[in-house]
Amino acid sequence: MVIPSFVIYLFVMAFPIVLSLVLSLSNFSGGKIFGSAQWRLTGFQQYGKLFTDPYFWHAFKNNILVVLVSVFGQLPLGLFFAYLIYRKIVKFGEFWQGILYVPSIISVVVIGIMWNLIFSPYGPLSEIVNKYYSLSYASNLSKIIAGSIGSQGKLAISDNLIARIIALNPQSVASTFSNPQVELKDLLINMANMGIPEIQADLTHLFAPVWSTSFLNKEGTAMIPILFVTLWCWTGMYLILFLANMQKINPQTIESAQIDGAKEKSILAHIILPELSGVIMNAAILCIAGSLNSFALIYAMTGGGPARITQVLSIYMYEKAFMGTPDYPLANAISIMMVAFSLLLIALTQNVKKRFGDQNE
Amino acid sequence: MKKVKTRVLVVLLLMIAPFVLSANGTNEQAPTKAPTNTAASKITLNVLDYSDATAPGYEEFQKVWQQFTEGNPEITLKKEDLTNEAFHQKMAAYVAAGTIPDVMYMYPSGRSAVLHEKHLVKDLAPLLGSDFLKDFLPAAINTDDQSGHYLAMLPQSICYSSVMFVNTKLLKDYGLSMPKTYEDLKVMVPKLKAKGIQTVLMANKDDWVMQSCLFSTIAGRFVNKEWINEAKEGKVKFTDPEFVNALKFVDTLYKDGVISRNTIQLSYGEVPGLFASGKAAFLIDGDWRQNAFITDKSSGQALISPEDQKNNIALVAFPAIPNEKYPGVVSSTLGCGYGISSEIPAGSEKEKAAVKLVKYLYSHDVQKLYLEKGKYITSRTDVVSDQLEPLTTKMMQYYSTIDTTCYVLDSALDPSVYTVLNKVLQEIGLGTKTPEQAANEVQVAMDAYLATKASN
Repeated sequence: MVIPSFVIYLFVMAFPIVLSLVLSLSNFSGGKIFGSAQWRLTGFQQYGKLFTDPYFWHAFKNNILVVLVSVFGQLPLGLFFAYLIYRKIVKFGEFWQGILYVPSIISVVVIGIMWNLIFSPYGPLSEIVNKYYSLSYASNLSKIIAGSIGSQGKLAISDNLIARIIALNPQSVASTFSNPQVELKDLLINMANMGIPEIQADLTHLFAPVWSTSFLNKEGTAMIPILFVTLWCWTGMYLILFLANMQKINPQTIESAQIDGAKEKSILAHIILPELSGVIMNAAILCIAGSLNSFALIYAMTGGGPARITQVLSIYMYEKAFMGTPDYPLANAISIMMVAFSLLLIALTQNVKKRFGDQNE
Repeated sequence: MKKVKTRVLVVLLLMIAPFVLSANGTNEQAPTKAPTNTAASKITLNVLDYSDATAPGYEEFQKVWQQFTEGNPEITLKKEDLTNEAFHQKMAAYVAAGTIPDVMYMYPSGRSAVLHEKHLVKDLAPLLGSDFLKDFLPAAINTDDQSGHYLAMLPQSICYSSVMFVNTKLLKDYGLSMPKTYEDLKVMVPKLKAKGIQTVLMANKDDWVMQSCLFSTIAGRFVNKEWINEAKEGKVKFTDPEFVNALKFVDTLYKDGVISRNTIQLSYGEVPGLFASGKAAFLIDGDWRQNAFITDKSSGQALISPEDQKNNIALVAFPAIPNEKYPGVVSSTLGCGYGISSEIPAGSEKEKAAVKLVKYLYSHDVQKLYLEKGKYITSRTDVVSDQLEPLTTKMMQYYSTIDTTCYVLDSALDPSVYTVLNKVLQEIGLGTKTPEQAANEVQVAMDAYLATKASN
């Protein structure tokens, strides 16, 4: 009765992988229908292109970041939260269990769009921070202006006033005016007939510090929100996995340890972790495979942009296969490389497992 | 044991059966068998349409198709509605599989270039006939701007990819006037910033937006269509000063604060709401964007009410750019439309059904409905309506102000070139590439494309 399963495996799993490998070693570009050259095997040409492609290595680097955060972020956090709930160190364990698991069951596309809006320059995060900055600036500005109100309730413009306004945020003034002293004076003169509150509001809009989410556009920091959301999204899933396995541990083992004077730290290190070592290793394998394939969340959040800064291998492969001029052999070569990286990382994990032993066995 | 073997055999046969029954070879050979549909039996047409379920008027647009089905019970429509990238990927998959739909929504070039150039769709001119086509704009039936240079699809409209939506109320409130030149726009920046308002909004998170909705027009002000055609033949280069000057102007826009670098984080769906709520004095987008602001008949809601559309919004072209060679030029392209698969046998009942569907979709009544619902401004010349929302009327007036047009670059250049252009425009906005570096990268992509073309 193995044959039916084997046949299903052949058609559903093995055949696509083999086809993908063959396509990556060929010059397939749609066949006759595109008036393309005769289909033939071209060897490792596509892989050669990949190894010299800086965008491939950039996407690979981003993928490694996702894998690292997943394995060294989701798993330890999931384990930590599971331990807190299992050992009843926190109250309302079931509530926390549910709350932490909810992100795992929401569509990743919805999550991606939601966090995209949160991190938008007009999103709640920017609004809150900038509101704080502008209130703080306005408060300082009002003290300066209060000392420069003339007898008729109008602003008395002096060099001292201008210098003090510039000093509040010199960078912002310099980015607005090429000659701050002169141009700011001109601006204040033009505002002379306005009411003091309106002048304060205008100056606050012009010169208050602005917190922007421009770090999302920068090479070194653009991945941070994605990594944060990756952590937020799937930690709950591992929490449930570890919690379920913790509940299989014989409670008398822990009670005996407690009677012998063991503290929580010792219980975790010498009872819980050894019992869960196999589960942790298997979870690490799942984590690696899942994070190397991550597509939907990152695509919904950033599309791999701007300018490919947050691109990962799956999005790069998608771009090569479906956007612009399709390059199927190159796209398949990328997918094979993803499989190869997965196998390499999984082999490393298995090696670690062998070295430190699955203490359940 | 015998029973086990029998059971295994049965299971294997059951698993193989679906593949055998569904395998029907490729569609590359025109079927030589007799048509399976007689006049009395139903004809099934597979349709791939570009339709956004979240856009205003979606329900009414679906009724258009339902009415066709009700009025033509002998024709069954198997319709697939997709939008944006999902649409393009599905079409690419159909083309690769050799199973393109019978009737499909398509572009005049660009993403649908393969359909034109490989003649995967029929020439509509003889099928629709001159009597039908006489009611369309000459520009719509001019095949020069279609990739295959034949009437592969009938453009539903002429699309202007660059429109500056102006919040005239904001300008009036703050004592500003409509900018005629770039300098007029630049001096507004600190005045608008003082009121907490952006000068120009664009949804630059999607890399195609800057290229399609603004840069194509800027490029057109420095180089004309002939220059682009020569670049495509390798006679001139994107690193030549004319094109570099266009890229430098984009850099200037960001440096002067006319367009904030933050716009690179604004997604396409976010921007209409921001403009409607007065976060910016200007929005630059394509003419199709009017659909986001007009009333959705199903909900009765509009982002900008008809009264505000009338009194507080204006549509203008981008102001005069310093040192421009071709003033007033705006990028445009033929709008999208429907084509008929070449796989359908000529003269067959299926072909007649497909032509009937296409004629229905382009009929006076359907085009009038689309015009009134703000879907697009039709290329039919005999459609008028007194039910148009003010913004749609203003858009028609905007069209009439444009004398000369230039290419939308992603309809003129090969995808391998314009995808690089899209990316480097974002990098100019991020400040990570100079205009010269950007031009160089685009030229490298063009050189690679020309080399591939030469070797094929």
